Amino acid sequence: MPKCTINGKEIEVPQGTTVIEAFKMLGDDICHYCWHPGLSVAGVCRLCMVHIEGMPKLQIACNTEVRDGMVVTNQTDDVKDTVKWGLDFHLINHPLDCPICDQAGECGLQDQYMKFGKYDPEMAEPKVKKHKVVDLGPTVVLDSERCILCSRCVRFTEEVTETNELGIFNRGDRAEIGTVQGRPLDNNYSLNTVDICPVGALTSKDFRFRQRVWYLKDSESICPGCSTGCNVKVYFNEEGLWRVKPRYNAEVNGHWMCDEGRNTYKYVNAAHRLKKVKAGQSGDWSQEEVFPETMKLGEKFRAAAEKNPESIAVLVTGQYTNEEFKNFFEFVADELKVKNIFHWINNPEKFDDFDGLLLRGDKNPNTYGLKEEMKSRGGFKSLEDLQGKMSQFEWVLVLGPENQSQFPDLKEKVDLLSQAKSVIWLSACETPELDALRAPTHQIPMKTYIEKEGSFTNFKGLVQEFKRGTTVIEDALTLQEVVALLRGHELDYRNRPQPIGGTKKNHFTNVRGQL
Amino acid sequence: MSFKVKREPVRSSWYLPGILVGLGFTFKKMLQNLFNQKKMVTLNYPEEKYQYGPRFKGNHVLTVKKDGSLRCTACMLCATNCPADCIRITASEHEDPSVEKFPISYEIDILRCVFCGFCEEACPVDAIRMGPEWQTAALNGSEFTYDIRHLAYRPQLKGGVPSVLDDQERHSAGI
Ligand code: SF4
Ligand code: SF4
Ligand code: SF4
Ligand code: SF4
Ligand code: FES
Repeated sequence: MPKCTINGKEIEVPQGTTVIEAFKMLGDDICHYCWHPGLSVAGVCRLCMVHIEGMPKLQIACNTEVRDGMVVTNQTDDVKDTVKWGLDFHLINHPLDCPICDQAGECGLQDQYMKFGKYDPEMAEPKVKKHKVVDLGPTVVLDSERCILCSRCVRFTEEVTETNELGIFNRGDRAEIGTVQGRPLDNNYSLNTVDICPVGALTSKDFRFRQRVWYLKDSESICPGCSTGCNVKVYFNEEGLWRVKPRYNAEVNGHWMCDEGRNTYKYVNAAHRLKKVKAGQSGDWSQEEVFPETMKLGEKFRAAAEKNPESIAVLVTGQYTNEEFKNFFEFVADELKVKNIFHWINNPEKFDDFDGLLLRGDKNPNTYGLKEEMKSRGGFKSLEDLQGKMSQFEWVLVLGPENQSQFPDLKEKVDLLSQAKSVIWLSACETPELDALRAPTHQIPMKTYIEKEGSFTNFKGLVQEFKRGTTVIEDALTLQEVVALLRGHELDYRNRPQPIGGTKKNHFTNVRGQL
Repeated sequence: MSFKVKREPVRSSWYLPGILVGLGFTFKKMLQNLFNQKKMVTLNYPEEKYQYGPRFKGNHVLTVKKDGSLRCTACMLCATNCPADCIRITASEHEDPSVEKFPISYEIDILRCVFCGFCEEACPVDAIRMGPEWQTAALNGSEFTYDIRHLAYRPQLKGGVPSVLDDQERHSAGI
């Protein structure tokens, strides 16, 4: 293990570590654009200059391996000067249209300029004009003027997705990123190029101009899109959720996530959500208050279960947290002795698919946890048992999927359940498919992954915890709360998390009631 | 220990002279104003209106280009800078790639505005200005939320308030 000195601090690093990685380990600032920990080294931006004792010229830190006894610094005047004018060189043709640039606020150029630049530009020539608003594909827009040609995006399509859509065309100050004609940037990982682009050259069509990034808060979470369980950051403000970005986790997703997973913020927003208990059946729905209605339902449900546990069927999806499952099965399987528990699998033919990178066919974040929980309780009954026997059940309780778009057989299930005597469907979203249920039904509004805390177990058994980020629908319930209400317990509604920016109620409002 | 509260004795109960002096002053001013209107310090509002200086920070104006389209690029710097949090902008993609971004809605809640002028200072393209108008009367609450139609195209802007700026000359000079 070679030892080196960086800015006067000694550090021992594994063999083969580059100088820039050693800087990152120490947490020392170093200017860089083209180096990305998840990609190969290109060494094109020439900003990661360091002074190494014994070498006549400055070296780039990203392509220099640490050797034993190396003494490295980036605090000397000539390093600082080189970096500064290197930055000026990068910005020669940069349009500096930060006001309309989506990257502003999280831009590498802005940050590095404030840290390492702060010069007065000395370029007097007019800027070279390039293409703006170039449509690269279904998800990404390119602004070539802002591109600093770090080649991160090119390396990404070359090394990670191996689809090679992007390339650098032309030479010198006319060089531009582009795609070959008729081959748009169209793969399931394309939006990662937007994340790694250090400037606003690549922007996401979905997020473009929707919000300024400084209005957004973020919260760490786990993507509920598939059983891989990528670590993500969800960005939101009081108006709702706006985007999802990957968060580094070497064991799960590395630096990346798929485009499909980035859509998981959409159904969380209030417009798609169930806000009150919807009681009735197809074409005749009424809105009921959540707490009293669920408690009333609980009484009937428990009475039916006590009379005959066989008259109750439960259909579960792997979309809830471990804690919720534990609580739920303790109530349904242990307490009420219900035996008819069925597992609803989103897409049985493609369930074990894997695209080789991240995305899996199992579109539930917690199938593993669900199976674990059921193991000690004798496992699931086969779904075929349900066909044609629907009418023998008094109640059917469905732990519906929160991400309904991933359940192509939703309509089939709705048709099947329409033959039941009465249905309780727990659902986060309000959809026309659900509203087509022809049996007497209660749709109970549920919280989504960003509104609750707990843990998901991913496909290989890794338990990942996550915290509550924000609250979108105040009255929506977690599965634990549903269980408590079905059991007939009162819930303290006063201490429930409030939506940010929503009606602010303090303790006194709750005590004195509505004025 | 005990404290003694000292009360000033009431010096005089002769308040009548004070009142008469006050009334006398009022009558003097009334007669002065009646016979020498030039010296009057007040204005006969609303017949007469005061003209503030050109730098007065009154109601906002969204400036337009020569072709009448908005200059605003929907960068939201004004909304970010506004201490009263009274500007609301929704941005969208413009068909013209050289414009790229523009506001499809721009609203100022004028009742929350404190007329500090931070918005006009934040604007990088001189798209919002504070004009000389200062009368903000309206008939109902919703009229106090100024939208693009009011901010950029209200009839009052036709005369007097300069609101058309164009960068054509600057651009052709290469600035
Ligand atoms: S890339 Fe960065 S510096 Fe360039 S215009 Fe966008 S925000 Fe400004
Ligand atoms: S588009 Fe972005 S990531 Fe790609 S080369 Fe340009 S600056 Fe780098
Ligand atoms: S004048 Fe001040 S308070 Fe009024 S809109 Fe502008 S920034 Fe906001
Ligand atoms: S600062 Fe100027 S350009 Fe930006 S949104 Fe406000 S008015 Fe429009
Ligand atoms: S980061 Fe080292 S050359 Fe770009």
